[in-house]
Amino acid sequence: MAVTAVHQFAQCITCHAWSADQSTQIVVCGNWKPCAQILFDDEAAKIGAILTSLSHMELSPSVVVALCPNNNEVHIYRLVEDKWEKVYVLQKHDQVISSMDWSARSNRIVTASHDRNSYVWNLEASDWVPTLVILRLNRAALCVQWSPKENKFAVGSGAKTTCICYYEQDNNWWVSKLIRKKHNSSVTSVSWHPDNILLATTSTDGKCRVFSTFIKGVDAKDSKKGTSPDTKFGELIVQLDLSSSWTFGVKWSPSGNTLAYVGHNSMIYFVDDVGPSPLAQNVVFRDLPLRDVLFVSERKVIGVGFDCNPMVFAADERGIWSFVRYLGERKAVSSGSRYGSQLSEAFVKFYGQSKQGLNNDAVETSRTRGTVHENCIKYVYPL
Amino acid sequence: MAGAEGFVEADNAEAIITRIEHKSRKIETLLKQYKPVEALKTALEGTYAIIGDERCKSAHWLVVHRAIMAIKDVDGMLSSLDPEYYDILMKYLYRGLATGDRPTCDQCLRIHEKLTEKAGLGCILRFLTDTVNTV
Repeated sequence: MAVTAVHQFAQCITCHAWSADQSTQIVVCGNWKPCAQILFDDEAAKIGAILTSLSHMELSPSVVVALCPNNNEVHIYRLVEDKWEKVYVLQKHDQVISSMDWSARSNRIVTASHDRNSYVWNLEASDWVPTLVILRLNRAALCVQWSPKENKFAVGSGAKTTCICYYEQDNNWWVSKLIRKKHNSSVTSVSWHPDNILLATTSTDGKCRVFSTFIKGVDAKDSKKGTSPDTKFGELIVQLDLSSSWTFGVKWSPSGNTLAYVGHNSMIYFVDDVGPSPLAQNVVFRDLPLRDVLFVSERKVIGVGFDCNPMVFAADERGIWSFVRYLGERKAVSSGSRYGSQLSEAFVKFYGQSKQGLNNDAVETSRTRGTVHENCIKYVYPL
Repeated sequence: MAGAEGFVEADNAEAIITRIEHKSRKIETLLKQYKPVEALKTALEGTYAIIGDERCKSAHWLVVHRAIMAIKDVDGMLSSLDPEYYDILMKYLYRGLATGDRPTCDQCLRIHEKLTEKAGLGCILRFLTDTVNTV
């Protein structure tokens, strides 16, 4: 039993972020629909060395989650005596919020929306104050992430563009610098290297790219060591062309030595020695494609996606990656199942969902996939 | 220059056709020895190296089709077929289903069911999303 807590917040969650003041590290999944799931427990603890014993773990009174219930608002919930209490509703965007990130040290939330803008939310006194960031995009913003030093954030968009935003003290303004004409399609996810300079992106053109985001005046010269000295802003360091289909969910390992991303062809790619001569491995798995990945250690990765059940991948001593197991329990779907039964299962699911629209009590009845998640998991974050 | 390049490609295509013909003979021999699984393996082996233009693809399909149609024991075939061939077999099953020919479709559907059970939905996804290495 890998899941110790399931919390249903809304019918559909497009994105979520956790408040950073948590001392524990736990895997958490945001669900496309309908619940946010928290994996807490000894089973989860086995997943990575950094997940220390959590069997005694209880929800600390300060657990706070921000999520978007598939509209233009951010809802912030706090856990008070086993009940989630809605403490804030952040309203400023005009359209659905596609992604958000909560910075650990500076305690700021950045949101990216289909309305082509971002807001940086700052907690002043007891109010979240938004600052508009004009991204200069002509299509929806799709993904956002704070850099490790939290002085920049990156936004991927449907305009084939990645924006690197930084704060300009003089003008009291967030400036957006664009990486243009490098992607041939929408940017589906962005991920910062621990060095605060390199940024990896995935795109629906099937490629994964690594860029330099060195910005004069923001990044100190010495932080450039490790990368080649002549990297300018927006320079393409490497382009990985491993997938022939859409790519999603790029992540760096904690040390920044390995890059993992997923393809829409039910494959996950691991790349070592990111640079002029990268070493790539691809792992084929038997189920539906993934959407996002999370490194729990250098050699262990959790993938989440359309299969509704997180998968664990690990590297052996030789560095060969392979699929290990599912995180959640799984009914034996493959053994002796027939298409007829799967079809009727699908019907039950559809009817269940149509009922759900009217009555929230019906949620329990439609557990057809054998896991806590009933629909695509879009994001996975460490808590 | 463009003419020269075209000539090289045509030459290459001829070489491929020769290789496919060679493969075809090998498969006929295996089928005569009642080794349909071996024949299918031979048919699927090194597919990407020997399919170039549409003409090569059609020629190679005829060879794979011959091997697919000879399979009687689907479960036995799948259990002895190396998992690395699952994806390419799935591609050819869909090519077979696309022909609309009744016996071919029957056979391909029969194998498709078992193959999906064995290789999962990921295998179908890889067929659907692969627009580069088509067969």
